[in-house]
Amino acid sequence: MDLNYTAEDKAFRQQVRRWLEENIPKKRPETLDERRAWHRKLYEAGYLGMGWPKEYGGQEARPMEQAIVGEELARANAPVSLNGLGIGIVAPTLIHHGTEHQKRNHVSKILTAEELWCQLYSEPNSGSDLASLQCRADVDGDEFVINGQKIWTSGAVIADWGILLARTDRSAPKHQGISCLMLDMHQPGVEVRPLKQISGSSEFCEVFFTNVRVNADNLIGEMNAGWRIAQTTLSYERGGNVLSRVVRLQEMYDRMIAVCKALKRNGKPAIEDPNVRQKLGEIYAEIEVLRYSALRLLSRLEKGQRPGPEASISKLHYSELDKHVQELFLDILGPYGLQTGGLPPEYALHADSDFGEAGSWAYSFFWSRAGTIYAGSSEIQKNILGERVLGLPKEVREDRIALAQKAAAGD
Amino acid sequence: MDFDFTEDQVMLRGLVREFLTEQAPVAHVRAMMDDERGYDPDIYRRFVQLGMLPFPEEYGGAGLGMVEQAIILEEMGRIPYPGPYFATVILAGSAIMASGDEQAMARYLPDVCNGDLTMTLAFLEDSIGWGPGEIALAAKKDGDAYVLNGIKRFVPFGHTADVILVAARTGSSGAKGISLIAVPRDAAGLRIDKDVISDLTEKSATLHFDKVRAPAENLLGAEGGAWPALETMLQHAAVGASAEMLGASRKSLEMSTDYAKVRKQFGQFIGQFQAVKHKLSEMLVAVENAHAATYYAAWALDADAPDAALAASVAKSFVNGASRKVCGEAIQVHGGIGFTWEYDLHLYFKRAKYFEPMYGDLEEHRERVLQEVLAGHISG
Ligand SMILES: Cc1cc2nc3c(=O)[nH]c(=O)nc-3n(C[C@H](O)[C@H](O)[C@H](O)COP(=O)(O)OP(=O)(O)OC[C@H]3O[C@@H](n4cnc5c(N)ncnc54)[C@H](O)[C@@H]3O)c2cc1C
Repeated sequence: MDLNYTAEDKAFRQQVRRWLEENIPKKRPETLDERRAWHRKLYEAGYLGMGWPKEYGGQEARPMEQAIVGEELARANAPVSLNGLGIGIVAPTLIHHGTEHQKRNHVSKILTAEELWCQLYSEPNSGSDLASLQCRADVDGDEFVINGQKIWTSGAVIADWGILLARTDRSAPKHQGISCLMLDMHQPGVEVRPLKQISGSSEFCEVFFTNVRVNADNLIGEMNAGWRIAQTTLSYERGGNVLSRVVRLQEMYDRMIAVCKALKRNGKPAIEDPNVRQKLGEIYAEIEVLRYSALRLLSRLEKGQRPGPEASISKLHYSELDKHVQELFLDILGPYGLQTGGLPPEYALHADSDFGEAGSWAYSFFWSRAGTIYAGSSEIQKNILGERVLGLPKEVREDRIALAQKAAAGD
Repeated sequence: MDFDFTEDQVMLRGLVREFLTEQAPVAHVRAMMDDERGYDPDIYRRFVQLGMLPFPEEYGGAGLGMVEQAIILEEMGRIPYPGPYFATVILAGSAIMASGDEQAMARYLPDVCNGDLTMTLAFLEDSIGWGPGEIALAAKKDGDAYVLNGIKRFVPFGHTADVILVAARTGSSGAKGISLIAVPRDAAGLRIDKDVISDLTEKSATLHFDKVRAPAENLLGAEGGAWPALETMLQHAAVGASAEMLGASRKSLEMSTDYAKVRKQFGQFIGQFQAVKHKLSEMLVAVENAHAATYYAAWALDADAPDAALAASVAKSFVNGASRKVCGEAIQVHGGIGFTWEYDLHLYFKRAKYFEPMYGDLEEHRERVLQEVLAGHISG
């Protein structure tokens, strides 16, 4: 065991840091065009899609290098790139399962953010039980005809394309009748309605399809093999980039230390209050353990081992931890933590007013409630760990009983 | 001994629930979230006129006790009711009563009781904390007036209250130099900035006092003698806040239970999953314990029990934790829909969160619990 970074890693980190110092825009990009411009810069520096094969615009970079870039971006508080879902989830899925034509047509456009993507999986009646989805794709000649509804689709308003799960065989058992398709969001029959979240912002949407036609060459992988492909996507989504989460939390933590020197609690600087000190110690220890676990994961990735169901350990850990840590931050701030705007600058999360409400402690607190719901809720992660990692007997469930009965009747 | 509500108390709850659900349905609540004032004065007046006040009958009050007020506030937490009832009655009202200043009672309470006057109390300043040492806003005697300079933060309905009771420093540091001075909202030199806080149903404001003159007769009680009244006010506020959080929690539990009975995933109701069932059961335990803690404390204040201060702090520290758990888990049980603005769950989540740091957070009240225990102020 050796937990030092190699000289090569250290040099790379310096290089990334320097680049960021020189290139981070002075004014935070707000409009889509400004954000595209920043995205383009990151792309040109080779900091996006780093792990992908060179032929699709990647760098074939090691997991460690990717992690370093993620860390440094977070440390520099750099504006996020566009197309998080496209780059994080869709392109890797295409690289795994797509046809040569699909890869050539889309992967580099995802990388350059020429195409923004969204993930059209969840439906009103199919969230945790994603495999029960009802949105249908009926074959008509060399086209699919899509009808149905999706919900909670992050970024659908600005998306050009979506990765869609739809039912292509209604008589097959539920996991076996789903296909995965690429869908142009700008065509007739696609209707997007934004939904407002408890944070007050609107990132996710409802999406309705009425007789939307999709050419058969937009099928990803085999017909009715969509469930397996979805598992690839979800494993990327759950893996997350844990180290950049760590750094984001560390940044908030450093800011909190500064705030606690300015903030008075019971007549003394909060940093001297024993209760506050306990919390600050607790938060740091929690973030450190997250970092250690992330390094452990990273060292496995470096050896080419991809996590299977164990990815749920880190998903469960970071999402629950985020919820707890954001709660502790608010505890320390007292009523200031309730403020979504107008905080005295010395107590604000970002002195930089460019962030608006999204820059408040309260906003981060509200967002922490989403992490244990999306990409598989905490309860689902626990089921996965219990049944697929620990090998416990499966829970008796109505859908399993029904499937078994159906299978028995078919024999 | 009887821990159940009397018939009158049950009727009171019924009346409050009926009035609030009819007059302040969620569409109204949401409209008030975007409203400058944040509440409808007509609804407030009609509610108060139903006899919803603690003050003695000679001033037009209904002589309600803290148990009755807790019932009212629990019902308000379930709406969540947007309006200055807490500010007027629990904060200003209990401070006026505790000050023992009959002139002030005669001056303000009749108008409060007919709903024409709303009030609030300005306590917090830059520093977070609810002890006497936190009060720094200076009130200097100048002829027949006090001149106030300083800042007050998070003043509930400070932007609409007709009269603001200001906890100010007139003398030495510590508990002895604190006075309560009434300042009308339109006083010269008083600048009021509305706060931007996450619970949009519970508006508050930051008050900047720049040489604000208040006539000497606006002093409540004796100069430098306000701390005991403020302490009583804080006990009422802690119990009142517990009642609000209890209401928000019970409502969240009910919504989650109902949802778990109709929402299906994997071919069954989500309430069939033990993970969900156990979560809801734990929420139930938390809510029932919060109920016991809140109403014990309310009764103890009414009965002037030796452990009244202890019980108020037990309640606030316990209910803070319970409501955090219940309202948070409610979102989890709902999944994606619980994270939307359109669904009402977040209104209760935010109401409960608002009251967590107000009138003493968990640690402050735990500290007070210990102080009361060490002082021997425990149940007889
Ligand atoms: C901010 C946000 C962004 C999102 N973005 C996207 C997106 O871009 N694309 C997309 O397709 N989806 C997206 N989602 C949807 C997300 O994947 C679903 O919300 C999630 O899968 C849960 O589904 P649900 O909301 O229907 O809740 P449900 O599945 O109805 O769950 C309700 C409750 O029941 C519990 N439960 C369900 N099944 C079990 C079980 N077997 N055992 C124990 N407990 C169980 C759950 O844990 C939860 O507590 C997003 C969600 C959020 C909150």
